[in-house]
Amino acid sequence: MISTMGKRASFAGGVHPPESKYRTADRQIQPGPAVKELAVFLSQHIGAAAQPTVKKADVVQAGQKIGQCQGFVSAPVHTPVAGKVKEIALRSHPVLGRSLAVVIEAESASEPSLPGFTMPQTFDPAKYTPEQICEAVREAGIVGMGGAGFPTSVKIQPDAKVPKHTLIINGCECEPYITCDYRIMLEWTEQIIAGTRLAQRACGASNVFVAIEDNKPKAIEKMNAMLEAMGLGASIKVVPVRTKYPQGGERQLIRAVLNKVVPTGGIPPAIGVVVDNVATAAAIADAVIYGRPLTHRVVTVTGEGIANPGNYHVPLGTPVEALIGHCGGMTDQAAKVVMGGPMMGIAIADLSTPISKASGAVTVLTKEQTGAVGLERPQTPCIRCGRCLRACPENLNPTRIAHAVKNNLMDVAESYYISACIECGCCSYVCPAKIDLTGFIRTGKILRARQKKKMPS
Amino acid sequence: MPQDITVTFAPHIRRPLSTRRIMLDVIISLVPALIAAGIFFRIRGLAVIAVCIAWCAATEWLCNLARKKPNSLGDFSAVVTGIILGLSLSPALPLWAAAIGAVFAIGIGKMVFGGLGANIFNPAMAGRLFLTASFGILMTTWTVPATLDGTMPTVSPTNAIDARTQATPLAWSKTAIKDRTGAWIYDERLPLRQSLLGEKAGCLGETSVVALLVGGAYLLIRRTIRIHIPLAILVSAFLFASIAYLLNSEAYVQPFYHLTSGALLFGAFFIATDPVTAPITVRGQWIFGIIIGVFTMLVRIVGEYPEGVMYAVFLANGVRPLIDRFAKPVPVGGVPHVV
Repeated sequence: MISTMGKRASFAGGVHPPESKYRTADRQIQPGPAVKELAVFLSQHIGAAAQPTVKKADVVQAGQKIGQCQGFVSAPVHTPVAGKVKEIALRSHPVLGRSLAVVIEAESASEPSLPGFTMPQTFDPAKYTPEQICEAVREAGIVGMGGAGFPTSVKIQPDAKVPKHTLIINGCECEPYITCDYRIMLEWTEQIIAGTRLAQRACGASNVFVAIEDNKPKAIEKMNAMLEAMGLGASIKVVPVRTKYPQGGERQLIRAVLNKVVPTGGIPPAIGVVVDNVATAAAIADAVIYGRPLTHRVVTVTGEGIANPGNYHVPLGTPVEALIGHCGGMTDQAAKVVMGGPMMGIAIADLSTPISKASGAVTVLTKEQTGAVGLERPQTPCIRCGRCLRACPENLNPTRIAHAVKNNLMDVAESYYISACIECGCCSYVCPAKIDLTGFIRTGKILRARQKKKMPS
Repeated sequence: MPQDITVTFAPHIRRPLSTRRIMLDVIISLVPALIAAGIFFRIRGLAVIAVCIAWCAATEWLCNLARKKPNSLGDFSAVVTGIILGLSLSPALPLWAAAIGAVFAIGIGKMVFGGLGANIFNPAMAGRLFLTASFGILMTTWTVPATLDGTMPTVSPTNAIDARTQATPLAWSKTAIKDRTGAWIYDERLPLRQSLLGEKAGCLGETSVVALLVGGAYLLIRRTIRIHIPLAILVSAFLFASIAYLLNSEAYVQPFYHLTSGALLFGAFFIATDPVTAPITVRGQWIFGIIIGVFTMLVRIVGEYPEGVMYAVFLANGVRPLIDRFAKPVPVGGVPHVV
């Protein structure tokens, strides 16, 4: 079942950017900065934004629900701290441009502390029904914490038509620089395993794998040792996968671990597979066992442009600038602030942008890493060298699609399967002509979506 | 806190490899062939190449000036075209003719289409084809290598054909088809050692098998080119020649002779692999290579001319867009049902 082919399991294509994880890999998870004002987005996930359940001047308790689901693919949001609702207003959102957030004035600037998770003496996933688990996960507002933010309850709930046979817990963390999942795997191992067993119980999968890239031997070792100690070595398998970007992309991971292909345009549950991030698994344990909503997450603050990088457990809604300030601020060479890692992360202009459920890192890059950034980067014509095709993990022709978009030939872009692009950035990364292939393709997808809506704008 | 924060699309880091570096690698890979050209055809041979490089660069610079485009000499692609064109010419070619070829190669072969990346045909081959059509005799007059004879023409003669001339090995094999002397050529007329080193008549860069293999290996190791196109060309040409040889071993020379003669190796590693004019997918590259290999051997064995690499590359360049369309990559997840 597991394809090894002599080497570690992997997929075709991909790139090997410098890992740059050494900066924060050995930094323990610390509490984040004490912040007076948090802006908690109502949309921190894929799907319909949450509907606010509080109004201006309301007093809220820590963990109280402040936004509720609207529709099936949606997730509620909760306030991480006690305080008062200052306003419900637009804030800079890394993905959506500007989006509604509940701004909360914290009651007291008490020193933040780390959460404690103690495994109950008699933990048995079987004492929860799948419905109970799904309900708890949904109520806690848990969404994919690896970056996509897809509501987890939708993924793990049983489906009679396509029964879920396999659960893969994703500990690859293939993005350079980021180490939040790595630290969680080392420090919250038990909690991840508890969450994994609950997710397994919910979706009914008989095969469970924890996939970890082989550049994290300590995490692999820790996970194996803990599973062994808990007597789960036989039922949950740790699969070391080859260190290659984007190994943690779920389509790529399924290819590596199961040698199965997710159809273009389809999602893993369509072939009976569920992929959940390790941080998501930990959140599931918190939600189901202790009823705690998802209000905090671990964020790696890193990059050459950060004075003292580290991994921090921060409340959702913390502004990026507070985090950067907490890490000693930016160096003089800082040129770009990225929410996420350097391959797929989103560069932000507004440093008051708050952390959301899917933001695993703040990476501050210097001119040295980004090259001559922006318009200064010397672009040369495409010489059709084909490096983008070889790097593409989905086997597309990125240069053809990008040039079709550039020339406004949307039908050509579609005939080269623009919609199958996962926007991993490998093509732009390898391009010797320094063409923003991924940028053109993303633009093309937006144009295409607008055209399909018969051009409302 | 710093002031200038830039916002762009992801990814925010890039691999350092540049187009200029790729071109530089091609230039480095051609150094062994240039050295061989210097050894066998002395200063006269190098002068032809130098003229080609100079006029290619000058033409590109002038075209950019006329089109009010930024100077593009920095990507070194004009230098690559100049070297490849020079290496594909006869050492005895008058320098003015080489200059005309270079101006055509860049001016018509490349800049008219829009410059780097936009040309349909390999610019060096366009220049060479133009010269062949215009100055057929000059283009097929070959001098004896200086190491065998020592009477290379000087750099500035008005009539370069003063030097001792010689037919190329492929011209011999052409005669052999009529004379039924294929075996004799292979065994006696051209000793293997001489053939591999390059001590034979021919274009400046094509004669030394050793130099071409060293350069080709460098390109493969640097991953500047991939093996598919050269392999497809050489294997298909070898199979074609083998069939001919097996059918009539008196008329046709041994297949190995074909691989080491003429521009086949030079074309396989340095001309057909020009990414701009070659297919972009592996499947397409196999088809492209097979077209070149088979068509070259058709010209050599069935056609009227002794050599056909240039025509084969030109033909394959022409059908390249069709090959690319035919060999379109299929997404990993299969073709989506609803696009």
